[in-house]
Amino acid sequence: MIRRINLDAKDIPKQWYNIQADLPNPIPPPLNPGTGQPITPDMLEAIWPMSVIEQEVSSERWIDIPEEVLEKYLIWRPSPLHRAYFLEKFLGTPARIYFKNEGFSPPGSHKPNTAIAQAYFNKVAGIKRLTTETGAGQWGSALSFACSQFGLECKVYMVRISYNQKPYRRILMETWGANCVPSPSPDTNSGKKFLEQDPEHPGSLGIAISEAIEDCVTSKDSKYSIGSVASHVLLHQTVVGLEAHKQIQMANEYPDIVIGCAGGGSNFAGLCLPFVRDKIGGKKLQVIACEPASCPTMTKGPYTYDFGDTAETTPLFPMHSLGHKFVPAPIHAGGLRYHGMAPIISRLIVDNFIEARAYGQLETFAAGITFARTEGFIPAPETNHAIACVIEEAKKAKEEGKEKVILMNWSGHGIIDLAAYDAYLSGKLEDYVLPDDDIAKLIKDLEKFPKPS
Amino acid sequence: MDIYCTQLGMLVKFSYCISMNDNLPCRNILGCWKQRVDIISILREKYSDEELRKVFSAPPKTRIERIIESIKKETSS
Repeated sequence: MIRRINLDAKDIPKQWYNIQADLPNPIPPPLNPGTGQPITPDMLEAIWPMSVIEQEVSSERWIDIPEEVLEKYLIWRPSPLHRAYFLEKFLGTPARIYFKNEGFSPPGSHKPNTAIAQAYFNKVAGIKRLTTETGAGQWGSALSFACSQFGLECKVYMVRISYNQKPYRRILMETWGANCVPSPSPDTNSGKKFLEQDPEHPGSLGIAISEAIEDCVTSKDSKYSIGSVASHVLLHQTVVGLEAHKQIQMANEYPDIVIGCAGGGSNFAGLCLPFVRDKIGGKKLQVIACEPASCPTMTKGPYTYDFGDTAETTPLFPMHSLGHKFVPAPIHAGGLRYHGMAPIISRLIVDNFIEARAYGQLETFAAGITFARTEGFIPAPETNHAIACVIEEAKKAKEEGKEKVILMNWSGHGIIDLAAYDAYLSGKLEDYVLPDDDIAKLIKDLEKFPKPS
Repeated sequence: MDIYCTQLGMLVKFSYCISMNDNLPCRNILGCWKQRVDIISILREKYSDEELRKVFSAPPKTRIERIIESIKKETSS
């Protein structure tokens, strides 16, 4: 019985895969709402080095992973591919379930796959420090780790209420040498404004983003780093799927179904894009993105341009969206909270290469508990969405008597976010699904906006 | 009263949700609290129509939208 498939260090992928080269329909560029024209690279140059901007818009199929990045990847990569034998046995399914363990990295998630790359490209561009924001603390941890590897300063603006109540995330960042400050902070003009109103202001993600950008734009030798949504982030994450592609072949298997959870889309894209390439080439397989039923961006939202606000002052991005009036119901996963999905993933859904499914809050935590009590590893709350889908598909295979091969991205462990499990186990979480009538009203609101060709 | 906050990955008190947005409510408060309290009545009692419009007439912004907005603000000032 194969329980774990390890890839030799010498076989680690040497290039990232850029699906923009193979998309049957390219993604439209983000537009400036003032002019209706695409946003130009010079605007992004304020926050990203040119090498990263080039990756953001590149149509090259393969992009070399620099040797210096590979050296750092080897700290934890290639990550293991596990056969979830005890979960299979518990479910009594004929399906064979494999999961790619991205909880193996030092910060415990897939996030450092891009954090390491971004830190490197900034380093060679002469940048001395990176700024970012963090809410739950997962991305801040990953970037802190990456900066420590390349001798960069790292400034993390962590929402104050989270900073005060999640000391282990903050300590992780500080252990890796980052300067993690509670936001709002006295270090920026935008932070000072809020502190003048209330010296104990609890902060918000929006304030933290503003502070990180202001710091980046107004400080010498500084740039800003982002952990999801952007195309270059998805590119860096493909190392996950490229490894898994080799590992599943080592087991003499090929997946019938590839599954991942999708918030901004980076971990899902990381595993699935190399397999989507096969699908574009004619291979038959299902690729499933899982999202919270309380925030059904992919499963119920149209593909449309969505104005950022009623004043129409923010850029237009082609995304799956529920429109202006959408108010997310309670969701529980730190990474699954975006109004929109990464444009690449949206395009692939529209073109029927990816399907999306939504899962309720209680169902996902029940799945996470089942996984922890069979396979032992405690998943991150957002990972539980993928596990819920795996269990659903495994049960379906049982009903149909089919020996399907299921591959899932186990995007991170939940050891530092056990409060979510405590809330579930103590009955403090509840499900909420947006009624179809409400969805229809919201979608109608988007009818006046032009659709991408 | 506590609730699990989607953005912060932790339990927060109702007092945070109703005032964290520059002393206005979080725009997610309706979805988060509607099943547990009469959130509409509470909001109408505490805030004026203008204040509520300020919060709820704008859409939730994506991360990229927030970033571009902040860049424009900083580079134009």
